[in-house]
Amino acid sequence: MFGKAVSYDLIWDSAACEGVHESQRWIVVAMQKYGHELVTMLWRILGNEQDVCDAYQTVFLHLAHLEDGQRPRWVKAYLFRTASNTAVSMLRQRLVERKSLSGMLQAGEELHAVDRDFDTRHLAESLRRHVAQLPDHLRNVIMLRDLGELSYREVARIMGISSGTARVYRCKAVQLLAIWMNKEEDK
Amino acid sequence: MRLLAHKEKTNSCESKSAPSRCGRIRRRLLDCANHRLGPDAPWVQRHVASCPRCQKRLAALTKVNLALSAIKSQPHQLDLLMRANSAAVKMLSHALRREAQDRRLEEARPEPCLMERCLGRRYAIANVAACLAILFLTKAGIFSSLDKARAQGQEVMKNYYTSQVGEDLAREVFEP
Repeated sequence: MFGKAVSYDLIWDSAACEGVHESQRWIVVAMQKYGHELVTMLWRILGNEQDVCDAYQTVFLHLAHLEDGQRPRWVKAYLFRTASNTAVSMLRQRLVERKSLSGMLQAGEELHAVDRDFDTRHLAESLRRHVAQLPDHLRNVIMLRDLGELSYREVARIMGISSGTARVYRCKAVQLLAIWMNKEEDK
Repeated sequence: MRLLAHKEKTNSCESKSAPSRCGRIRRRLLDCANHRLGPDAPWVQRHVASCPRCQKRLAALTKVNLALSAIKSQPHQLDLLMRANSAAVKMLSHALRREAQDRRLEEARPEPCLMERCLGRRYAIANVAACLAILFLTKAGIFSSLDKARAQGQEVMKNYYTSQVGEDLAREVFEP
């Protein structure tokens, strides 16, 4: 349920919509329909509002510039897949940037090492970092199921697998994340 | 009559209440399985209490679930959706405007370099090169040398046949 995330009803600015070409109106409709879920998923993956806005734009630009301006057969699937891929790319880029700064951050991290276990923000960041490193199929299931809150049936349909396989993938992903987070803690 | 009534009852159950009943039973089975086989089951708890490895694993799994819950419960700004939407809509119209202006760029083709232009006439160039090579080889006497080598080879073969099968037969074979 998206109840936990703070919801905000979109005030559709008619002036903004008028600027959109007739052929792209269906994109605005898709935005209206799936925008909230997408923003929530992107927020959960990225945890940064500016990045969420950037990723959201990228997703809809991809949709608008699909081959010959065609509409995908299942818009929701296309949007969620593109969103998760875009978010992961951004997350990885952020990881690379962070690695380059790791030397500078190391001293600061040591000071806060004691509070780590109780720091939910750190825990969330750690999970995001590890999710970005998961194999594609496992990562997609975790993102769509846990962060996008889609049903297993929808996840399975988006990924072209069975619901059972999606469940197995999620289980494997959680196990892998647990191992990695444990290793990190040991270090 | 009794059978018919039973059948009707079964059919009505299958058609209307079956999905909800199935769902209920499935949920109960799942709860039961979780209770008996899940991490909260008494025998699992007893084992975990005495096994440090399992304690560590269970703690790690709990940590992942905790992290997922933490991510889900982190609130964002109230106007995030609105900001994202308005930025995306602006970008759409902007992209459209740019598309109209830059259509010429889409149609433009890159100017080929000298090498690429020559590639278009590669067959003609290859033919000319082949002719030049033949001329050069003729001039250099390669072909006459080949004729000489062939004549010498025939001579050797004729001598061999003469020694093996006799002069008459060798003459028949090698002299037309």
